[in-house]
Amino acid sequence: MSMRLSFFSGLATAAVAVTLYPLFAGSSWLWSSLGAILLIIATGLLATRYRLPGWLTPLAQLTVLWVYLTASFAADDAWARIVPTRDAFFTLAELTARGFDDIQRFAAPVPDNPGITLITAAGVGLIAVMVDALAVRARRAALAGLPLLALFIVPAEIVAEPLAWPAFILAAAGYTGLLAADGRERVGRWGRAVLVRRTRGTARPAADAGGLRLSGKRVGVTAIALAIVLPALIPTLEPNPLFGFGVGGPGNGRNGNTISIPNPIVSLKGQLTLPDNATVLTYRSSDNLPHYLRMWSLDLFTGEQWTMTPPTGRPQDRVENGPLPPPPGFRAGVPTKRAQMNIQISEDIDDLQFLPLPYPATEVGAEGDWRADRSTLMVFSTRDYAEGLQYTVTSDQPAPTRDLLQAAGPPGPEVVERYLELPPDLPPRIRQLAREVTAEEVTPYDKAVRLQEWFTGDGNFSYNLQTQGHGNSALIDFLINSRVGYCEQFAAAMAVMARVLDIPARVAIGYTGGTNVGGTWQVGTHDSHAWPELYFEGVGWLAFEPTPAGALGQGTARPPDYSVPPPDDPATGDATSDPSESASPDETTSTADPTAPRNPRLEDREGTLAPVVTEEDPPVAPRIGAGVALLVLLLLVPALVRTLARSRRLRTLNRPLPDPGPPAVRLGPGAPADGTAGITGAPAERADPADRTGHPMAGITGARTGQGDARARHYAAGVAAAWAELDDLLYDYGVTRDPSETPRTLAQRVSQQHGFDPKATESLRHITTVAERMLFARTPGDPGLLSVDLRRVRRALAATAPRGRRIRATLMPPSTLRRLRALGTRLLDGWDRLESLRLRRPRRTTP
Amino acid sequence: MAVSHDVGQLEDLVATAHRIRQAIESVIEGKSDVVRLTMTVLLAEGHLLIEDVPGVGKTMLAKALARSIDCPVRRVQFTPDLLPSDITGVSAYNQQTREFEFKPGPVFANIVVGDEINRASPKTQSALLECMEEHQVTVDGTTYELDSPFMVIATQNPIEMEGTYPLPEAQRDRFTARIAMGYPEPAAELEMLDVHGAASPLDKLEPVATTAEIKALIEAVRSVYVSHPIKRYAIDLVAATRTSPDLRLGASPRSTLQLVRAARAHAAMSGRDYVIPDDLQDLAIPVLAHRLLPSVEAQGQRRHPEQVVADLIRRVPVPDAQSAAGGAPPRRGAGPRQ
Repeated sequence: MSMRLSFFSGLATAAVAVTLYPLFAGSSWLWSSLGAILLIIATGLLATRYRLPGWLTPLAQLTVLWVYLTASFAADDAWARIVPTRDAFFTLAELTARGFDDIQRFAAPVPDNPGITLITAAGVGLIAVMVDALAVRARRAALAGLPLLALFIVPAEIVAEPLAWPAFILAAAGYTGLLAADGRERVGRWGRAVLVRRTRGTARPAADAGGLRLSGKRVGVTAIALAIVLPALIPTLEPNPLFGFGVGGPGNGRNGNTISIPNPIVSLKGQLTLPDNATVLTYRSSDNLPHYLRMWSLDLFTGEQWTMTPPTGRPQDRVENGPLPPPPGFRAGVPTKRAQMNIQISEDIDDLQFLPLPYPATEVGAEGDWRADRSTLMVFSTRDYAEGLQYTVTSDQPAPTRDLLQAAGPPGPEVVERYLELPPDLPPRIRQLAREVTAEEVTPYDKAVRLQEWFTGDGNFSYNLQTQGHGNSALIDFLINSRVGYCEQFAAAMAVMARVLDIPARVAIGYTGGTNVGGTWQVGTHDSHAWPELYFEGVGWLAFEPTPAGALGQGTARPPDYSVPPPDDPATGDATSDPSESASPDETTSTADPTAPRNPRLEDREGTLAPVVTEEDPPVAPRIGAGVALLVLLLLVPALVRTLARSRRLRTLNRPLPDPGPPAVRLGPGAPADGTAGITGAPAERADPADRTGHPMAGITGARTGQGDARARHYAAGVAAAWAELDDLLYDYGVTRDPSETPRTLAQRVSQQHGFDPKATESLRHITTVAERMLFARTPGDPGLLSVDLRRVRRALAATAPRGRRIRATLMPPSTLRRLRALGTRLLDGWDRLESLRLRRPRRTTP
Repeated sequence: MAVSHDVGQLEDLVATAHRIRQAIESVIEGKSDVVRLTMTVLLAEGHLLIEDVPGVGKTMLAKALARSIDCPVRRVQFTPDLLPSDITGVSAYNQQTREFEFKPGPVFANIVVGDEINRASPKTQSALLECMEEHQVTVDGTTYELDSPFMVIATQNPIEMEGTYPLPEAQRDRFTARIAMGYPEPAAELEMLDVHGAASPLDKLEPVATTAEIKALIEAVRSVYVSHPIKRYAIDLVAATRTSPDLRLGASPRSTLQLVRAARAHAAMSGRDYVIPDDLQDLAIPVLAHRLLPSVEAQGQRRHPEQVVADLIRRVPVPDAQSAAGGAPPRRGAGPRQ
C-alpha cells in the first residue's frame, strides 16, 4: 500500500544525508549512513507488509538501527557479533564520546574515524526513523521536511563555504520526491471514478490522477529551478553567491557563524592543528622586526564565544583613497614607531577577504576594492580576494610610556557601550577571579599588565592545542580547573577578565610575526594567533599577549614592550611630560573625532542580510529610486512585448498587396480569385511568418493558382494577424475562450456579454467571419479594413471592462504572460520527454 | 475533380430551399428547425427518421415535403402484416404476354414516406432499409435502379408505445438524421386550429420545386468545400462517441460520412461554399444521437444520447481552439476522456 512512500522517505533522507559531504574527509560515513537508511527502509516496508501498528514501527526501526550500529561498530563485544550486550553498549558509548571529542577538536572536514562515523550513522538513522514515522506512519509528508531540514542545516551551519548547488538540488529533489509519492498515494485513494465504462476497453482508475501528478511534478521542478536561478540573479547577494548559509544576526547562539567569512575561531583552530605548517604570507619590514598581523577583531562576547559585529566599509574609506581613518582613541602626541611593510599573501590562500595588517595601519597600498572599517581598522573587501595579493602597509604603532598608560582617563561612552558588554550570566567566579588576581593594582593599565603576567607566569597555565570548547563552562574550566589551553582560550579569557575590570577589550585574530628567514619574515598556518586588545583612552587599542611564548607555548608569540612589567621600579622621569599633554581635557579633540565608534547595530541593520556591508557611492534614496525604476522597466516589459506584437500585426494587416495589378475584386462567397480553384488540399502554408509561434491552422487554405495565389496568401496573412490580435485582445480583457467554441459563437457571446453597440458587434462579427473563411474556406477572400474593426472591438471591450482590468490589459497584458506560460510549458514538456527517456515500468496503480 | 460552381448556383440553392421551407411551414407551424433539418437531409441525399408521439405532425411534415416538390411520392403505412414485397414490388404473371412482369412497389418514387415504420415486422423493415442503402431493388434476380433523388422519410412512435418493433441499431444507422417534432408552441397550436379548422392546408400546397432542380441542388451541395481541419473535427466528434464512458455503442464511420455530407448541405443552405465547425455542431445531435446506445450507468442516470453528444460537443476542441498567436498548446487531458 504505502510501500512506495516508505521507499521515498528513505530516499529523501539519503538525498539530504549526501549534503553532509563537506564535513568529512573520507567516505565511510556515507556508506554507514546509507546502510542505516536501507535497514530502516526495509524495516518500514516489512512493518507495512505485516501491518504493524503505526506506533510500533519506529520502535522496531530504532531497535534495528541499534543492532546495526552494534554490528558495525562494536561487533567484538556483541553476542554473536550482532546482538547488543552491555559491553557493546559501553563500547558504543565510548566511541560516541570519542567522536564528540574529535568533532570538537577538528575543523570542518573531519576525518571519518569510527567515532565520528558512528555519530553520523546514528544521527542519519534517527532522522530516517523520524521521516518514516512522519511521512509513512502519520501520513504527514510535509512535516517530514522538518527533520530533513535539520539534517540539511548541519553542513550549512558548520561549513562556511556555500553549499554546492547540485547538493541543494539533490536534497530538494529528495524532499519533492517524498511529497510527490505522498500525493500519488493520496490521489490513488480517491479511487476510481464511479462512472467508468466497463463494457468495452479498459476500465481506468481516476483518469485525472495523471494530470495531477504531472502538474505536481512541474510545480516541483519549477520551484527548485527558481530557487537556484533567482538567488544567482539578485545582485545584492553577489559577495556570497549561492546559498550563503550560516548568516545570522550577531551572537546567534551556539556555534552560529555570525559572519559570512569562516568563523575566525574555527578557522584559527583548524589552521593551528594542520599537520603541515604551510606558508600563509611573507613580508619584509622596514624595521626588520616581527609584527602581529591582525585580520579580524572580535568585539562581541556572547557568553559562548567571541564574535564580530559585521564591519562596515564605506566608499570613502577605500584604502586607495589615501590614509586609513585615524585609529580610534589615539591622540596625537603619543610616541609611535613607524614601520613600513611589504606583504605577499600566498597563492594558496582561498577566500581570504580580510587583509592581515599590523595595528594600527595608517596607509595600505593594495590593488582592489579594499575598505577599512572605521571603528576597528579591519581592511576587507566584498569583491576581491587576498589570494596572491601583494600590498604595502605603513603603520604607526604606539609605543606609549608606562606613565602615559597609567594616567589614561576613562574611556568614552561609545567605547564603554561596545567593548565592556558582558553577558549577564557570566559566572561570578570569573568576576571574582579577575578581581582577586588584580587586587593589588590600581590603574587599568596595571591591572592589564598584571593579568598578562598572571596568564603567562604565576597563573600556572600551560599551552596545549588539544583543548576544546567555548562557552562559560569552558571558560571556567580553563581559568579555574584545567588551566590548559591555547591562544584562543588565553585571549578570550583575558579579554573577558579585562572587561570585568572595566577595561574595554576585544579579541584580535590573525598571525604572529612569524620567523625570519634571510631578512624575510615568513608566517605560516601555525602562526595563527588570537590575542586580546585593550583600550586606553588617548592611546587607543593595545595588543597584549597572555599566551605563553616559546617552545612550550605559541612559538612566535612575543609580548609587546609596554605590556611587560619592568624589572625595576619604573623610571617615570621622561614620561611625565607626555601625560601632561594628554591629561588635558581630552574631549576637545575626541568629540570631533570621527573615529568614535557609532552604534554598530544601527549601522549594520542590513548586515543581517548581507553580512559584510559595503555602502555604495550614491546614498540610499537614489539607489532605491534606481531600483524602483529598474523594477518598473521590468514590469513594463510585458506591455512592451504586447505593443510590439500588435504593431507588427497591424503592419501585416496594412501591408499593400504584393502585386498591385488589377484592383482587388471583392470576392463574393464561393468566388475564387481567378474564377477557378482546384480542390487539391495542398500542404498548409504558414500565413504570417511572424506568428509562427504555433497557430496550427493559420493559413490552411487550399492551394491557389497563378495570380490569385499571391493575393490569397496576402489576405490570409492579414486575416491570421487580425485573428491572432483579436485572440490576444479578448484574452487581455478577460474573455476566456472555450476550446469547443467556434469563432462565430465566440463573436456572438462576446458581443452579448459585453453589450457591444451594433457597430462593434458588426466589427467583431466581420473579423470572425473572415477568420472563419481563412480557416475553413477554399479562398480567404478580401478581408477589408480589419484594423478599423480591431480598433472598434478594442474600444468596445475597454468601454465595458472595469477599470482594473483595463489597466491590467494595458500594463500587464495577460496574453503576454500566456505566451510566457506557453514557453514554460514547452520547456517543461521537454523536461518530461527527458524524464521519459528513463527506462521505467509501465505505470500501474496497485489496487 | 475541378468543380465549377458560381455564385448563382449557390444563390439558387438558397432561394429554392427557402421556397420549399416556406411551403412546408405553411403547413407545419412553428417548427422551422425541424423543417430546415428536413431540407438538409434531403439535400444531403440522406433519409430522415421522425420520431415522436402520435399526433404531432410527423406524417404531415413528410407529406408537406413531398407535396412541395413536384416529384413522385409514395406513402406506405407500415402495419404488422405488411410484407416485403408490398414495398419492393412483385413479379406478377401477365396472362396476355405470358411473361412475368415486375410490378414496382411504392419504393419506386423520389420520396417515400414510411409511416409508423416500427409497426412492421423486422423482415419488412429490412426490405425498405436495403433500398435506402443500395438505391436499388432486386426482385427475382433482376435489379431495378431507384430514381434519384431518393429519400425515405420514416416516422415512428417511441418504442415504449404498444405494438411496435423497435428498429435495430444497424438499421437506425442508415438514417442520416433523426428528429423529434415536439409539441407546438401554444401560439402555433392556436394558429393551427385556425388554419386546419376549415380544410387541410396540405390540399392547397403547390409544388415549388422540380426534381431537376433538386438534383442540381444536390450537385451543388456536393461541391461545398470541406477543409482538412473540419474533416478532422468531424472525425474527432465521432471518435469521441466511441470512447465516451457514457455510451455502450459509439457512432459508425458511416455516420462520419453522413455528418460531413449533412454539414455540406447545412453550409450550402446558409449560402456558404465551405463548411465551418458550427455546421457540424448544429448537426451532431440529430445525426449522431439515434445511433448511440447509452451505457448502463448513463441509463441509470437517465442521460439520453442527445445529452451525451451535447457534452461531447462542449468537450471536443474546435479546429481553432488554440489561440491564434502561439497560445497554450492543447492541454493534456483536455477533450474527451481517453
